[in-house]
Amino acid sequence: MLSSAVKFAVSATSRTIRCLHGSAAVCSDKLFVHRDTPENNASLTFEFSAENKKRADLIIGHYPKGHQAAATIPLLDIAQRQSGGWLPISAMNYVADLLKMPRIRIYEVATFYTMFNREPVGKYRVQVCSTTPCVLGGCGCGVIIDALKQKLGINVGETTKDKMFSLGEVECLGACVNAPVVSINDSYYEDLTPKDIDVIIDELKAGKVPKAGPRSGRFTAEPASGLTTLTEPPKPAGFGVRKDL
Amino acid sequence: MATLLKIWPLMGRRILGNPAACLACKSARTASGSSDQPEVELFVNDIPVSVPPGTTVLQACAEVGVQIPRFCYHDRLSIAGNCRMCLVEVEKSAKPVASCAMPVMKGMRVKTDSEIARKAREGVMEFLLMNHPLDCPICDQGGECDLQDQSMVFGSDRSRFVDMDHEGKRAVEDKDIGPLVKTIMTRCIQCTRCVRFANEIAGVEEIGTTGRGSDMQIGTYVEKLFGSELSGNIIDICPVGALTSKPYAFTARPWENRKTESIDVMDALGSNIIVATREGSVIRILPRLHEDINEEWLSDRSRFAYDGLKRQRLVSPMVKDASGTLVSCEWEDAFFTILDRLTGVTGSEIAAIAGGHADAESLIVLKDLLNRLGSEALCTEEIFPMDAAGTDLRSNYLLNTQISGIEEAEVVLLVGTNPRYEAPLLNARIRKSWLHNDLTVGVIGPQLDLTYEYDHLGDSTKVLQELAAGTHPFNKVLSSTKRAMIIVGSAVLQRADGGAIHAAMSTLAQNHRVKSGCDESWRVLNVLQRVASQVAALDLGYKAGVQVVRDNPPKVLYLLGADEQTVTKADLPSDCFVVYQGCHGDAGASMADVVLPGAAYTEKVGTYVNTEGRAQQTQVAVTPPGMAREDWKIIRALSEIVGQTLPYDNLNEVRRRLAQMSPNLTRYGDVEEANYFKQAEELAKSVKSSLASDALTPPQLSLKDFYMVDSISRASQTMAHCVAAVTKAEAK
Amino acid sequence: MSVYLEKLRHFRLAIKQHGGIIGAYLNFYRTDELKWGDLIGEDKFGNKYFQNRHYFIGRSRWVQYSDAVGMDYDGSQIPPEWHRWLHYIGDEPPTTAPPVKRSWMVDHKPNLTGTPEQYVPYSTVKPKITAWEPPKA
Repeated sequence: MLSSAVKFAVSATSRTIRCLHGSAAVCSDKLFVHRDTPENNASLTFEFSAENKKRADLIIGHYPKGHQAAATIPLLDIAQRQSGGWLPISAMNYVADLLKMPRIRIYEVATFYTMFNREPVGKYRVQVCSTTPCVLGGCGCGVIIDALKQKLGINVGETTKDKMFSLGEVECLGACVNAPVVSINDSYYEDLTPKDIDVIIDELKAGKVPKAGPRSGRFTAEPASGLTTLTEPPKPAGFGVRKDL
Repeated sequence: MATLLKIWPLMGRRILGNPAACLACKSARTASGSSDQPEVELFVNDIPVSVPPGTTVLQACAEVGVQIPRFCYHDRLSIAGNCRMCLVEVEKSAKPVASCAMPVMKGMRVKTDSEIARKAREGVMEFLLMNHPLDCPICDQGGECDLQDQSMVFGSDRSRFVDMDHEGKRAVEDKDIGPLVKTIMTRCIQCTRCVRFANEIAGVEEIGTTGRGSDMQIGTYVEKLFGSELSGNIIDICPVGALTSKPYAFTARPWENRKTESIDVMDALGSNIIVATREGSVIRILPRLHEDINEEWLSDRSRFAYDGLKRQRLVSPMVKDASGTLVSCEWEDAFFTILDRLTGVTGSEIAAIAGGHADAESLIVLKDLLNRLGSEALCTEEIFPMDAAGTDLRSNYLLNTQISGIEEAEVVLLVGTNPRYEAPLLNARIRKSWLHNDLTVGVIGPQLDLTYEYDHLGDSTKVLQELAAGTHPFNKVLSSTKRAMIIVGSAVLQRADGGAIHAAMSTLAQNHRVKSGCDESWRVLNVLQRVASQVAALDLGYKAGVQVVRDNPPKVLYLLGADEQTVTKADLPSDCFVVYQGCHGDAGASMADVVLPGAAYTEKVGTYVNTEGRAQQTQVAVTPPGMAREDWKIIRALSEIVGQTLPYDNLNEVRRRLAQMSPNLTRYGDVEEANYFKQAEELAKSVKSSLASDALTPPQLSLKDFYMVDSISRASQTMAHCVAAVTKAEAK
Repeated sequence: MSVYLEKLRHFRLAIKQHGGIIGAYLNFYRTDELKWGDLIGEDKFGNKYFQNRHYFIGRSRWVQYSDAVGMDYDGSQIPPEWHRWLHYIGDEPPTTAPPVKRSWMVDHKPNLTGTPEQYVPYSTVKPKITAWEPPKA
């Protein structure tokens, strides 16, 4: 009798008391409105080069009539590549006019996807994965970021003075096995150590293209400690099949 | 605690089960359902309800009087389903369901007040309030805010959001989208109603969502004017205080306002409005639901030109003194000055011109007075071709198909009109039909952005001839349908060859009616008027156009709110005595010898007939300023002074006289249909004038031309700001 | 008994002072009082001041307002020097001890509220309606 009353009282109180937890409001470091600057304003002209125009026409041609808007992302990508890794407002306007879409629809797409840079970036965009597997795997991305900061002399989210390197922290790059991972433009550099960072950055500075892929010597994403299965050569055809067949 | 919780669902239902919600769902049902499919039965809180397939759960709930809380859902916009406020529990469904986007299914058991539904709502509300500033005391939406109301009814009494580190809530910078809409974007809950309104209704795709996640914001990305003639409506549909009215900012709370249901006169559509007044002045104008005219929208001129009602007003009678300057005087002095000038003038030397804001009552009283004085020279400022049947047949000057008829039409041909600026809500109707019913639109006139795609047939009158003769390629489009509409702008009918244009279109329309074998009740020929008084004036027998005044220059000219300078001092003999009666000091008052201050449309009970032929009445929201009086009373008083006392003393008697002249004028709310198209067409053959070669160009071409078209909007500072903003945006 | 005779005598004197029954009635109608006493003086407005020490202090000095104001008499019609005497601030009436006239003293003016000469403040609020200014010829 008494215990049920106590139980009721406890459950009633526990319902009224709530746990308090505060979490930091994490906001993007990017601005989602356009600000006119000398290098990025609508009065500048942008046009696809002849080669890119051909590419764009091909992509637009993939889609049925009336659905050209589907080509937005590939075209924005071409535009970003053409204008040096970032997407000026004039390029967005150009794509909008090309696809006969309202400009705001293009702005919506370009601001939604984080891989469209709407402000000038360095020639090499160094993006360090900082999701859990990369924090834990190998030497950990914290060390890599510190090494990059030291090597480039900039903080995360900044660009070097000579406009060569931009450093950024990103979420999972999808190469968790080879943690820690850094992507520089279109190449992945995996299984990194702070020493590898030195080598890669120096090579880039020297104008060479460092070899992409794992730095630990393993082939792509095979186990770090060597193969544990399928170690022998594959069996010939007909292996294990009944003789009489 | 426990007992309290048990009472709550009952309280909730009592709040929700109001009859207005039922009415709203009835209309939603008729709009969405097709009758031939079997209805789906489902249960809302164990109450069975049958709805047509395709209905959403939210609408089905409304059917039984259960109103589901919502932010992003809006009857007239597409479904977004992003606010999650309308979550309900559906039996055998693993998660709560967003009822606004969920179509009904057979045997569904919806619970709107279960523990799960309530918890889901509370959770959503908590998330919404987490990043919503608690600035209700300084927010203009306070008192009419959906978020405020729904957090009271459906929200939790506390939040788990505790800003222990004082990092602050999400903050978003405000956007400058023009002089009409004030934005406080931090208050935005990203329901995207404004984005959908701009895309779907206004057809100006300039607002969008940029960014993602908690950084998502509504805006134009680049700083830009939201250049729409319907922009004010995003204030109404915004469920929070993110978009508020700039001219109304910090003026009043909604519960302090006195609301008067009235009619708008800024264009010829006669949109239904609510005039909100406080301390004897109009502080804002809101749309009022009328499915057949304005739905629930209102054009910017109708909504924001009200500050013109407080400027440039005529507040006392004026008479010209010896030096030729108008000076204020008493009513008697003004009347006796008129009497002095009227004595010795024969009836034929008196004329009157009625302007665009004159109500039917003052029109009939003025007509009776002048007729008694022996004059027949009563005309309107707006010209309408008087050749052939002219204004004798109502079908010639009405929008016969009616505004809602556009939704049934399959082909619309616009001739020399820019409906986007002449009648924005008619244009919104065409866009709606174009979007949802595959309406084909043809345009004869300049190539303009009408917010929908159309076949441009050129702007020469040759096209009209070809169409009338049946040789134009567009004739094929017309002959393929039984539901075609031809909308002729009143502006092109004002040209010298207006009669010929009207005749050509009349022939085309009648040919189409005969050939397509369309319904007897389906009208084809429509005329889109531009001023509110025109149809009533023509119904009462006013002559359209001031030609009669030019031909026989009068000795005494009576201007009833005529401000468009159709007749200037230069057209009149130097000894002509001009009496101006109206509400604003504009062109008309400037040329007058005696000024009689009248009431504006918010200050009188007046009958206006819209372009469809629908009689509606305005109501008194505020009293006329100073010594100004209702217009018909002024003329009635003058009639006594000049010795021709008119036989009516009150409004009912004037209306009885109106009904004698034209019974449709007092059948409020109804459209009096016009007929005799065949006869009109036959008479049209007698039109002598031939088509001129100049292009068919309506006068209002860009947004800049939209804002200031009459004496009220010309006096409005808000409209001036709009013109300046559009000019600046165009210069960029 | 003598008390009543005394009262009767006073009543008679009062009636006599006001010039008979009718005069006394009119004065009673106007002032709700019927008193007799010595006329001490008259001010520039025509108000007459009386004193009768026979009455209780506080009632022993009174004013009979000028007939010109009729029923619209009020306290502000009494000039300050008489106000001083009337309120027992001093015993010397201005007739025997006229006040010193200083250069900064202004003439007494009664309260004009409710009369055509009353002060009406002008509005400092912007008018809600701005009227049209006709162009100058």
